[in-house]
Amino acid sequence: MKNHLFLVAGREIRAQVRTKAFVIGLIVSVLLVGGLAFAPKLLGGPDSYTLGRVQVPELQLTTFAPDIEVEWRQFPDEAAAKAAVLDGDLDAALVAGNRVLTDGEIDNELGLLLQSANREAQIGASGVTITPLAMESVGADTRYEGARRGVATVLVLVLFFMIIGSVMMVAMGVVEEKGSRIVEILLTSIRPWQLLGGKILGLGVVGLINMAAIVVAGLGAALVSGVAADFPPGMTGIVIGALVWFILGYAFFAAFAGALASLVSRQEEVGNVLQPMTLLLVASYGVSFYASADPTAPIASVLSLIPPFSSMVMPVRTAAAEVPLWEVALSGALMVAAVAGMLALGARIYQRAVLRTGARVRLAEVVTGNKP
Amino acid sequence: MIDDMLDITGLRKTFQEKVALDGVSFAVRPGEMFGFVGANGAGKTTTMRIVMGVLSPDAGQVSWQGRPLGFAERRRFGYMPEERGLYQKMKVGEQIDYFGRLHGLSQADAAKATTELVERLGLTERRGDTVEALSLGNQQRVQLAVALVHDPEVLVLDEPFSGLDPLAVDALAEVLQERARGGVPVIFSSHQLELVERLCDSIGIISAGRMVASGTVDELRSAEGQRLRVVVRDAKPGWADELPGTLTVAGDRETLVVTGGDDQEILRAAVQAGRVEHFGTERPSITEIFKEAVS
Repeated sequence: MKNHLFLVAGREIRAQVRTKAFVIGLIVSVLLVGGLAFAPKLLGGPDSYTLGRVQVPELQLTTFAPDIEVEWRQFPDEAAAKAAVLDGDLDAALVAGNRVLTDGEIDNELGLLLQSANREAQIGASGVTITPLAMESVGADTRYEGARRGVATVLVLVLFFMIIGSVMMVAMGVVEEKGSRIVEILLTSIRPWQLLGGKILGLGVVGLINMAAIVVAGLGAALVSGVAADFPPGMTGIVIGALVWFILGYAFFAAFAGALASLVSRQEEVGNVLQPMTLLLVASYGVSFYASADPTAPIASVLSLIPPFSSMVMPVRTAAAEVPLWEVALSGALMVAAVAGMLALGARIYQRAVLRTGARVRLAEVVTGNKP
Repeated sequence: MIDDMLDITGLRKTFQEKVALDGVSFAVRPGEMFGFVGANGAGKTTTMRIVMGVLSPDAGQVSWQGRPLGFAERRRFGYMPEERGLYQKMKVGEQIDYFGRLHGLSQADAAKATTELVERLGLTERRGDTVEALSLGNQQRVQLAVALVHDPEVLVLDEPFSGLDPLAVDALAEVLQERARGGVPVIFSSHQLELVERLCDSIGIISAGRMVASGTVDELRSAEGQRLRVVVRDAKPGWADELPGTLTVAGDRETLVVTGGDDQEILRAAVQAGRVEHFGTERPSITEIFKEAVS
């Protein structure tokens, strides 16, 4: 009988993967996430400077900032250098008498670099050497805080859109089968739980394919663009965790959506009947968005344990900050239990409602009532 | 002997306040084509949905080969619901194959059955098309293929002929008769009474949730009794006033239809009244039996 579950799942996968909408959706999301990985590069400050000098030696700026690129140009006199600065060809020009010419106020970073390099050069010339200060943090490692929050923010968006997209497919599939009465034929050969379960399984695989494509595109683009160098340690764990949480969150909301959708017979009614599920999902999204900005807030800590909020808040929290392992384990266990409960309840509602075509079936009737 | 039949016994079903079925009973023998007729809303679809387990009855039961029907037995039935259900965006061949697999056929068997049915129902050129691209008649053929793909032990078809052109009706009828000859009981509902009369061995007439008549076509027709039809031309007015039956007048022709009565006496009266053009007994058509039973 398990076989039927996979037959149904297989049909769902084939039906989805062949559609234009799936292919286009995949390409768009891959491009979007790939583009996102290049965004910091495009929006960040200039990492290269063009400097001029007039009868003075070059200063070794890269000693202090190994990442930047510096191009020096030599000018015969101060007037020529000044003209180049005013034309915008140079960021700054170093001229005799330890003066720096700029057009307006100097770029902050560049000013500091020039001052330090100049000090170093003069001290070196006098024969004195200084031992540079070694920095050591005795508090929490906050080096990656910004990067972690960035990753968490992207994660919130991806999780939310992937879950709602896949869950809507489940709801629409259920109504398609109920509305066209295919379900009457299907249920003479397979059990309701196999039909609903197979649909959830199949569309979950489709969602996972989408999710994997986005992750691969995102990480690949990050490596190419160099953003990956700024990734916090444990990025692999965060990504794998996100996939696991996606599966749990999807399973919960998909069972919920499938059950609700079985109450109606027409596609136009889907949005309306799904409202309780949509509200819960949007609430989870809101909290996890908040958690991505303030991962240590009490509400984030509490809701990262409570299903179904935890399915979105916990992955975001673990990405944004350190979370004790026992909390992750507890949250996971509670969510697995909630998924099992929702699958059982969803199958029960579905079984009782899906053959009752026509007017919308009342939820209370099918939760407590008997078989039609 | 009763053991190999499909027995429907005392079905009752109420929707809210409305009584849909009020003690429906009949039996279908293996190899029998059973025509299920009745007005709209009489209870045909409800009965068939209960047989297929789509609805559960308030009372009564359905048994097959002497045992109450369960899920395992119904999986070996073929069903065509009243409102057709197919995946619109799925290809014809894949769809038939899929339902075969769901009914428990192996991959190889499902592929073989699909190919046979596609050929048998004239869908070979349509095999790779999606269902939504087909005409209604062809969609109906696919629907039938879906009901037949697992070589069912019993066929339950709700209005299989509705919306089909005469050629398609013949093709479908032939396929059903072939299955019946193979020992499969076939129940189908229809509004086309001539078709039912032509195809069926047995007929059940349902009216307002009750079976008002059921039996073989011969039984039903003899139960109504023989009828006498007399056509007289240029008859004297009032010649039939003393006789039983109903008289209809069309121009100078007067037709008397009598059930029972003394045929010799009627013949004498007719001969005296005018020129007798036709005198003979006939058996009622199913349409007449239906009108009689339902009125």
